[in-house]
Amino acid sequence: MSESKMPDKVAPLEILGELVHDGDSVAFGGGWFANHPMAAVRELIRAGRRDIHAITVVGSVDMDLLAAAGALGHLSFSMVTMEAFGLAPNVRKAVESGTLPFTEYTGLGLLIGLEAQGRGVPYLPYRGPFGSDIPARYPGIYATSTCPFTGEELTAVRALQPDVAIVHALRADAEGNAQWDGTSGPDVEMAKAARKVIVTCEEVVDRDVIVRNAHMTKLPGYYVEAVIEAPFGAHPTSHIPRYAMDAWELMDYAGAAAGPSFAEYVEQVRGESEEGYRARVLKGRDSVLTSLVDAAEVIEGAEA
Amino acid sequence: MTDYEIHELMTCRVAAEVDEQGVTVMGSFTPLAYAAYMLAKLTHAKGAYLAGFDAVGMAPVQLSFTGAEAAAYKGAACRWGMLTEVNSIHLANHGGVEAVSSAQFDGSGAINLSAIGPFDKPKVRLPGGAGAAEVIKMYRKMVAYFGNHNSRTLVEKVQFTTGTRWKVGAAARTEAGLQPGPVVVVTNLAVLVKDEDDEPFRIESVHPGVDPQTVVENTGFEVRVPDDVPTTAEPTARQLDLLRNRIDPFGTVKFDFVSGKDRLAYLKGVLDAEWERATAVAS
Repeated sequence: MSESKMPDKVAPLEILGELVHDGDSVAFGGGWFANHPMAAVRELIRAGRRDIHAITVVGSVDMDLLAAAGALGHLSFSMVTMEAFGLAPNVRKAVESGTLPFTEYTGLGLLIGLEAQGRGVPYLPYRGPFGSDIPARYPGIYATSTCPFTGEELTAVRALQPDVAIVHALRADAEGNAQWDGTSGPDVEMAKAARKVIVTCEEVVDRDVIVRNAHMTKLPGYYVEAVIEAPFGAHPTSHIPRYAMDAWELMDYAGAAAGPSFAEYVEQVRGESEEGYRARVLKGRDSVLTSLVDAAEVIEGAEA
Repeated sequence: MTDYEIHELMTCRVAAEVDEQGVTVMGSFTPLAYAAYMLAKLTHAKGAYLAGFDAVGMAPVQLSFTGAEAAAYKGAACRWGMLTEVNSIHLANHGGVEAVSSAQFDGSGAINLSAIGPFDKPKVRLPGGAGAAEVIKMYRKMVAYFGNHNSRTLVEKVQFTTGTRWKVGAAARTEAGLQPGPVVVVTNLAVLVKDEDDEPFRIESVHPGVDPQTVVENTGFEVRVPDDVPTTAEPTARQLDLLRNRIDPFGTVKFDFVSGKDRLAYLKGVLDAEWERATAVAS
């Protein structure tokens, strides 16, 4: 009887350049300024990937940096925003100049398309965004479907299968069992829909740690192809409960993006290792970002 | 009477719409709505069910740019993800109050968060609506708020409909399987309400010192002016105390009311205060 060995999927960040190919559709996890797989975004830029069809539900600096680096061939999204820092300047510029083809989904439509793929059905119906101008623009994605039982008219969304999903977790083991504690956003649905799943995580841990906290495992290892340890891998977005968003770096980004020297900003990211990025940008700010999580207050005991 | 600022009056008026029925989900970057939900939860709607990020059943939290997400998880009863929220709140008719702000809004209850100018090659590409297209249709109450009431924002017809209330009247909504509830617009000048599909918005109240005619002149769609237009309730001293000292001590809500060139300096000031508090906690 031959003994099979537990799989070891742990790989260095540099493997992204091999796992993601030019022209691939890639779903990027996270939402708002939370939990985007930013180390992976930076690595794809370093690897010189181009013509990526990015898929995001609520994207922010992740999509903007990819657009700035010329890595995008298409953008599917329901929202891309820099929130307090304004409209995402590079995405905006690329769309307004007509150089970046895009697909604007409604938020629920995009998630339901991913869900359909994850369930193995060609579409799923829902009580859709009736009255919205978006569905009519994309007859290959949205259609009208009639309930076979009641005759009710519903909106059908075609299943969406990304070539790759990249999500950033709190921790994972060598088999790919991945855990989230705070925001997981669309990560699980993206992973279940994709042909290939890459998990970056704050730390790779022994299986024992995963088992002791099994209620936090949102993605079991059978979905996962590669596990990459990337501390501060969501920076400058947040990864709760480890660190808050780095609003100061985001402010620098927004400032640089509005100025003539922005190409230098992108070239700096392109030319340094992820370790070099952390050393340059964090500069001791890591402890403050952690403290911001501790300092966040629930309001107790406000009497009527 | 305590002095107050207009964003505080607006926050209190939006808070008045929040009740204890259904789940209210925080939208993408809408500090005024966040503050309003917290105020309601600390005063007249303690049982309000709030969800922010993936934290469901939140305790009221203090607002800040960097800390609100972490705070949401600290006091929440449940941690889901986007799809579970979609299926369990939005699509399952458990949605309570949705407060949105958009680049354009029209007299039918439609919002535009997509594009000004041609959709494919727009003059201004806006962020997109995230879940707003479905949510403003499905939730029991739709509240739209605007810090600058003018006819460029409140337009006759939006250039692109990212989403719309779709059915407005209670009977039409019930027949369509939707929860009946109003569309309420809260601006820096007035409160407008729409009850029926084939009737225009009417002025529910004007804020202190505002003339109904000013509201009509600054609105791009038809507005009905009742014979007797009441004045919007002003914030109470207790509401102001909660807003200023407990809910929003850093002033995140006011950020959206600061004009273009001053915004960055204001944001820097808020972030300096957040930094200072975090480093004090660490030491």
